[in-house]
Amino acid sequence: MTDSDTPLRVALREAQAGVENAGVPQFDRVWAAANARTQSLRRKRRVVAGSVAAAAVAAIAFGLLMPREVELRFVDEDELLGTTSWFAPSDGLLPEYQFDIYQEIPVLIESTETFGGALL
Amino acid sequence: MRDSDVLDKNPHVSRSALEAIHGQVFGWALSRSDYDPAVAEDLVQQAYVELLTGKARFDNRSSLRTFVFSVVQNLARSRYRRIASRLRLVKAAGISAVDDAVQPIEPNENAAVWKVVQELPQRQRDIVELVFCRDMTIEAAAAVMGVTVGTGRAHYDRAKKTLKKKLTNIGAGIDD
Repeated sequence: MTDSDTPLRVALREAQAGVENAGVPQFDRVWAAANARTQSLRRKRRVVAGSVAAAAVAAIAFGLLMPREVELRFVDEDELLGTTSWFAPSDGLLPEYQFDIYQEIPVLIESTETFGGALL
Repeated sequence: MRDSDVLDKNPHVSRSALEAIHGQVFGWALSRSDYDPAVAEDLVQQAYVELLTGKARFDNRSSLRTFVFSVVQNLARSRYRRIASRLRLVKAAGISAVDDAVQPIEPNENAAVWKVVQELPQRQRDIVELVFCRDMTIEAAAAVMGVTVGTGRAHYDRAKKTLKKKLTNIGAGIDD
């Protein structure tokens, strides 16, 4: 800004003073209102943070305290196999228990006598 | 700066320093709010809230006044963006009249000089106001407006030329 701008500056300042005729609000009042707004914001933030924390604690407590329907238990593999047996469904067809029809093959009676040139 | 004055979240800002520039900040807020004193007061109050909460943090890179002016400028921009989007929604919904739509209060334009200033493009008007009426340097004004110093200087030169020409035409008596 140069000295030649001074008349322009004066003219603008006068014009602006005419426009800005609204009284400046008291600093103390505006400051107090700003402080109140800040406190209110902090309270709101605290309430939100508290609610989130309470919800998290409740979720954890619910998870820990809730009774389990099925208790998980370690199963020993050998113990499990020792107490387990399996039968084939076709075992019931066998005439006797543990009888194996294929162990002995029936032998037909062999004839050595002949009748009319043919074996009986 | 008294120690007790210093804001908790803004160690470089004190209540007394803000009180010293309060009138100027309100004047700037007034021009950002179409000269509506209620809106201007709300903008100033919101700027103080930003400083109190530390959301706007002053780190001595400029003067406190430049910084607070920038905060007010940004708040005013966000406010008008919100209003503009609300008006767009209203328009899209086909509602013809809205009772709570913000109607800017026209400033007293009796002064011919001020009328000429109002006719300038927004950026030129801002820099003229900051430099001529609020005693800022072009650098500080550019910082408040969020533009580079070069851009600020270009707006300033154009505004000055236009103003001189128009004010001479209306005989406002600002000849060099």
